[in-house]
Amino acid sequence: MKNHVRELRGEHGWSQAEMAERLDVSRQTVNAIETGKYDPSLPLAFKIAALFGQPIESIFDPGE
Amino acid sequence: MPRFSEKAYRRHVWVAMAVYVGCMLVLWPQRLAVTGTPAKVVLALLPVLPMLYLIGAMMRRIRDSDELEQRTHLVALGVATMVVGALSLGGGFLAAAQVLTLDGTILIWVFPVLMASYGMTRWWVARRYGMDGLCEASGVPTFARLLLVAAALGLGAFLFRRVLGDDISLLYGLALGLGLASALGAGMHWLSGRRRDGGAP
Repeated sequence: MKNHVRELRGEHGWSQAEMAERLDVSRQTVNAIETGKYDPSLPLAFKIAALFGQPIESIFDPGE
Repeated sequence: MPRFSEKAYRRHVWVAMAVYVGCMLVLWPQRLAVTGTPAKVVLALLPVLPMLYLIGAMMRRIRDSDELEQRTHLVALGVATMVVGALSLGGGFLAAAQVLTLDGTILIWVFPVLMASYGMTRWWVARRYGMDGLCEASGVPTFARLLLVAAALGLGAFLFRRVLGDDISLLYGLALGLGLASALGAGMHWLSGRRRDGGAP
């Protein structure tokens, strides 16, 4: 699954560590999500969407 | 609620290991000198206490982990359980066939093998998710820590060789096992560094 987490984080000027703290996850988990190595659970995806103030489908793209 | 960091967890591990080694070097050899079953039981089970403390720290670490970390813990614990189960099954059949002679003391190795399998599997699973290195908080690679513990165990065994008697082989075995794991870790660390420098995926 593709996502725009890295771009959105960059727009907000947050480091991975800062974003991890806001989401209450580890920095490595943020990195794994950004690189597409890990697809977050629905609750975490909602948390990310709420953090950026955008709907989930505009951040996560299930692809084909 | 603040998360139970890797750094705090490792501090608890060091405390548990220090107490364990202290028990093994100072109190464990006394079990043969004492008379009476209750005293023997107490001395024999003393090394289990720091391991229970370690299990408590592990449970807290896993409980406070995020969803991805919990996944890596779960996979690692599952694989470690299967490894120990398979080794026990194989060893049990070999003993039943009288190919190997195993006594009850082999059970001492169950927990260390479980922890070693768990650690290695978790490292491997974490790498798959790009969580390179599980010790970023301090910057000291795991293989260096293992080497330090192996050296401490080897030195302790050498210094206390007169007190330990036959038990010295257990400590030397542990030191050798940790030394080999450290060498393996150093090799993998070197390989991943080369892959990074070479720009390979």
